[in-house]
Amino acid sequence: MIQRLLPFLTLIALFVGLSIASPDHFLSKTNLSSVVRQTAVINLMALGMTLVIISGGIDLSVGAILAMGGLLGTMAMAKGQPILMGVFIGVFAGCVCGFLNGFLTTKLKINPFIVTLGTLGILRGTTLIISNGLPVHEIPAAFSYLGEGNLLGVPFVLWVLVVCAVLVHVILEHTRLGRYAFSIGSNPDAAYYAGIPVAFHTTAVYAICGMLTGLGGMIEASRLMTGQPTAGQGYELQAIAAVVIGGGSLRGGEGSVIGTLVGAFIMGLLANGSDLLGISPYLQQAIIGATIILAVSFDELRKRKMVH
Amino acid sequence: MLLQLTAIQKRFGGVVALKNGNLTVAPGEVHLLLGENGAGKSTLMKIVAGMHQPDGGDMLWKGQKVSFSKPADASAVGIAMVHQESLLAPHLSVAENIFLGREERLPFGWVNRGKMLDAARKLIEEHHFPLHADWRVEKLSPAGKQLVEICRAIAHGSSLLIFDEPTSSLSESETKEVFRIVRTLRDRQMGVIYITHRLEELRTVGDRVTILRDGETVHNCGLNEITNERIIQHMVGRELGAMYQRSSLLPGEELLRVQGLTRKPLLHDISLTVRAGEIVGLAGLVGAGRTETCRALFGLDEPDSGAVHVAGKAVTVRSPREAVTEGIALIPEDRQKTGLATALPIGYNLTIADINKVSRMGFLLDHDKERSLAGDYAKKLRIKCESPRQLAGRLSGGNQQKVVIAKWLVRGARVFLFDEPTRGIDVGAKVEVYEVMDELARSGAGILMVSSELPELLQVADRILVMRQGRITGELPGRTTQEEIMKLATLHDGGALLAEEGTE
Repeated sequence: MIQRLLPFLTLIALFVGLSIASPDHFLSKTNLSSVVRQTAVINLMALGMTLVIISGGIDLSVGAILAMGGLLGTMAMAKGQPILMGVFIGVFAGCVCGFLNGFLTTKLKINPFIVTLGTLGILRGTTLIISNGLPVHEIPAAFSYLGEGNLLGVPFVLWVLVVCAVLVHVILEHTRLGRYAFSIGSNPDAAYYAGIPVAFHTTAVYAICGMLTGLGGMIEASRLMTGQPTAGQGYELQAIAAVVIGGGSLRGGEGSVIGTLVGAFIMGLLANGSDLLGISPYLQQAIIGATIILAVSFDELRKRKMVH
Repeated sequence: MLLQLTAIQKRFGGVVALKNGNLTVAPGEVHLLLGENGAGKSTLMKIVAGMHQPDGGDMLWKGQKVSFSKPADASAVGIAMVHQESLLAPHLSVAENIFLGREERLPFGWVNRGKMLDAARKLIEEHHFPLHADWRVEKLSPAGKQLVEICRAIAHGSSLLIFDEPTSSLSESETKEVFRIVRTLRDRQMGVIYITHRLEELRTVGDRVTILRDGETVHNCGLNEITNERIIQHMVGRELGAMYQRSSLLPGEELLRVQGLTRKPLLHDISLTVRAGEIVGLAGLVGAGRTETCRALFGLDEPDSGAVHVAGKAVTVRSPREAVTEGIALIPEDRQKTGLATALPIGYNLTIADINKVSRMGFLLDHDKERSLAGDYAKKLRIKCESPRQLAGRLSGGNQQKVVIAKWLVRGARVFLFDEPTRGIDVGAKVEVYEVMDELARSGAGILMVSSELPELLQVADRILVMRQGRITGELPGRTTQEEIMKLATLHDGGALLAEEGTE
């Protein structure tokens, strides 16, 4: 039980530790808001990744999907579309990319690691071709509200994140799609033998992950106020790390929204804390890497005890 | 004495797997280790093989106190284990597998393939094994793979060989071959520990018997001093009624009609019918096409030709999904691999085939309803569990099988294809599975039952169809004899060890 709560306790310990080590800066509203803003994008991608990983898959292309979504959304705005339309286009583009991943995985029956490694390259390349490698700048000023604005005293992205987290949680725990995701991830053969439309639901999971990533792309674009074709490089690993720290298993069938959020915030706080305490960014990377290994080894220990 | 275990204890977390494990094995003795699933047999053997470390007790090997911290320690002193699931490298050859980890080495890490191949050939010839040293292991049948593991043990000069349910996946003729080999090992003064669930094969191999129950050794004696009934009593700790014998029902309407089902080269012109209330047995050797028949009927393999009628309606089944829609259910041979999601709760496994039963508005799950539904079925099928939230993998084999069956009851299937329904299940629990099948038949289901255990077919089936080399070679009444079945199953069949291109 203690080990199941370990990620949660780690997050609390980190929070308390940082409050003591750097009371003035860490607990300030500006700093906490900036932690939320910085982690929101990874959090959104990690929510989608949670679904994918629970269903026994993996999506290495989310970083590229993020860039594609952000670029197409901002290009639409630059061409005079309203902001809402731009956001919709970004999310829709992400959805299409996710659908493509799911379609290729289920139709060609290729390991999703390979498929998304391929689409990572294809999507990034396509984004660069569409933009000719140049960022989009002509964005309406009001668009910055998405990433930088406040609603009722807290960052607007926090509201977006909470709504998405609740939605994904409901999908996972209370809908047929979520149940099938667990079943497929836990034992794809048993799911197929039970007559579950495995291909359809696998594709749906990737499409939802793509949508959330597209939304993340729009938030990223809003924070930078540019549509960057090179945005999101390496984000896929952070999203996967968040899921895994939060108790998700790459073997499928395990994971939760709460766990993933905790995982993403642990990484966010580690980065933020290192900044505040003046720890070099080089060392930061090593600390986060070590955290991933520690978290997963504790989780494996817990499971091994359970099995016997 | 070769091996002497005294008061061995082992706990996993809070669960006590072994309280008091005692076992003594002499050289040149085949020692049967019996007990229900969960009695601690496998744990005890894994301790002997160095895969687990005991929490208490003494282990003497040839009179010396020993403790193994890893499997290599046990194999170094001469203890080898033939596992139920093969632990071979499928892409390597027979010879490479025999010498895996102990290759004939040349300087700079080169491997002397020629010498290895020769040594393997000599070994295979010496024992008259139907193997070739250069065959790739993945092409071998389960029986062939076991032979390779046995070769490996002999090549390493082992003096104690542990068989963990060696015959559970083998046909009758292959089983005989394993027994022959066990006897030759005994004659060479090796000690053999043999775990089995099949009571009818005890007498053909064993010398002594040790019975475990609930982690304790409850009995130990020579095999000729004890009757099978006493053995069962020791295993289950209570008196079992007379041998199970199902009484037939008056069959109702025709539920399944198969005509001319062909899938080359494994199935040729399969025709059969199953009526409501009927249990039709499907007998035959491994590779005869029994599992393939089930697979084709369930939409897992597409047949070349043939017609299938379910309850009088012509159906085309191209996937399990379509089979399920037509009311066909498959209880697969390997329930851990294809029947259950062992890491998910029982409740999830019960509703997986018909989630609509516990959904609102077609997509929102009703957890309360699911729990009560799961509770109802657990009670109905007497599934022993703590709650519907318990993970399916934590259940015993018999209870897992009941969950697989219950899944199809929830769905309301009417045609049931049982493929080896009691494989790896305790004696006591087997009868419970038969009872569930009988209740299914009484409630109007039609059952096609594949089994390699002939006594089981004779106990349960109303009619028995016998298959050989992809064809049905005859139909026998339920009260026939094993000899009649074997006659139809083995004509012109040598029991080849190279698996056909099938999954059986």
